[in-house]
Amino acid sequence: MSLNLLVGYAGLLQMAHAAYYGIGAYTTALLTINLGFSFLPSLIASALVAGILSLLISLPAWRLKGDYFVMLSLAIQVGFYSIMYNWTGLTNGSFGISGIPKPVIKGNVFVTLDNIFVLFSLITILCGLLIFRLLRSPWGRALKAMRDDELAARGIGKNTRLLKLEAFFIASAFAAIAGGMYASYVGYIDPTSFTVNESILMLSMVVVGGTGNFRGPILGAFTLIAIPELLRFLQFPDAVAANVRLLAYGLLIIFIAHLRPQGIAGEYRL
Amino acid sequence: MAMGFSIVYNSTGILHVAQGAVYSISPFLLVSLIDAGFGLPASTAIVLLLAIFISLALELLNHWPLYKKDASLQSHFISSLGIYIAIIQIIAMVWGNETRVLKGAIAPAYSFWNVTITKPQALGGSLSLIAILCFTFWLCRTEGGVRFMALSDNPIQLSLMGYDISKLRLFAFGLSGFFTMLTALLTAIDVGFDPHSGLNMVFLGIVATIIGGKSSFAGPVIGGILLGIVRSQVVWHTSARWENMLTFLILVLFLFFRPQGIMGKKGGLGTL
Repeated sequence: MSLNLLVGYAGLLQMAHAAYYGIGAYTTALLTINLGFSFLPSLIASALVAGILSLLISLPAWRLKGDYFVMLSLAIQVGFYSIMYNWTGLTNGSFGISGIPKPVIKGNVFVTLDNIFVLFSLITILCGLLIFRLLRSPWGRALKAMRDDELAARGIGKNTRLLKLEAFFIASAFAAIAGGMYASYVGYIDPTSFTVNESILMLSMVVVGGTGNFRGPILGAFTLIAIPELLRFLQFPDAVAANVRLLAYGLLIIFIAHLRPQGIAGEYRL
Repeated sequence: MAMGFSIVYNSTGILHVAQGAVYSISPFLLVSLIDAGFGLPASTAIVLLLAIFISLALELLNHWPLYKKDASLQSHFISSLGIYIAIIQIIAMVWGNETRVLKGAIAPAYSFWNVTITKPQALGGSLSLIAILCFTFWLCRTEGGVRFMALSDNPIQLSLMGYDISKLRLFAFGLSGFFTMLTALLTAIDVGFDPHSGLNMVFLGIVATIIGGKSSFAGPVIGGILLGIVRSQVVWHTSARWENMLTFLILVLFLFFRPQGIMGKKGGLGTL
């Protein structure tokens, strides 16, 4: 949903979303383990940190667009991944961070799968509602105007630079919240969960489901999650199951690019 | 690699990520052909033809139909990404995910002045130099080369003048396949190969193209050489772990302060 804010509404093909997801995961892990933050404050802090670090990509986005922006976002992705992998003093490098505590809210520890499912579903719905309200607001329409014709949007008085800053801040903050939830759910994180491949997977969800409206990315996420479940019925050997899943993703992306560039349920043609 | 990337990028505007798949599959095909009893020269020739064939197929089956539909460059990029993912998974399923080597023993090295280079590196440098010189000669001295430069300058005007740009685009993809195959085999001889190294090589090609200047065919060569020197200095003075970080830091600096690259003209298409 947050990536759609950039790809579908701002028209910026972001390839660094997994980096901000990772920033959220690491911030939550470090704050809960080292500084004793509880779950919700650490999520909020993660969102703020990722939002501030989004300036690294949103400031250059004032000048760069199209291919140049894709390349810049790839550079940001690789840069953050390198930091996660190599800054061993902070992130523990390739060994990762283990022992991340389970969510605790007002003394209630969410340990069982059912509890965590309910809590994370509530947070996801809340985030979804916030994004929905944003997209339906004048701000969301201004973003669409900027996507369709930036010069015209400027001409009618929209501050497109500020719009880009805000869009990146919000999208990165939501990605960081997802990262924080992931970290506290699995209890262990390492840099391999936040590579460019994860960014490609997120982009695939948006592209397949559809860009430029609220329902597209949700449908895309369900489609891409459903594929491995459906493939189980074909009983591929375990050794190739992951490859078959990724092969299906690749073919689906090609199919969408050729036959339905706006995605299954989208409005904006990439 | 940068040359292969920029030939397609300059002439079509496509971020040719699927080039990484051509890069990844070439050494695997070579090994399979050698194992099947073909000699090294015959196997290399067949791989060369197959790499060119795959590149041509990418244009004919993917990019040209999208171009005819007036699809955006983002659609080209995304479909290219899809093709890359699909081919890499096929490679992994057929040949496995392990890193392999083409040579069996430690390569002999040559030393002159204070420089030591291995035989595969010397071979790679020489062959790359010959290929680039031949391409430059063709580009500057032949009518086909002039048409090719015109394609990268203004494809619409070129087609209005009656030239068949579909053939020129095909040629660009074929040439890119040749350069990519050459890089893949030479790198495989030097440091080995695995199915997933292609994307990283495409990224390096992109960075070299931006550093050198995307509006010039000589730019990526210069960018590639500079990038190679800087990366080796990083390994020498700090650690190989920071190679990629520094590479992309250089890219960011160029995007900020000189988006047209060293050899490029001011006012790139990607800037406002």
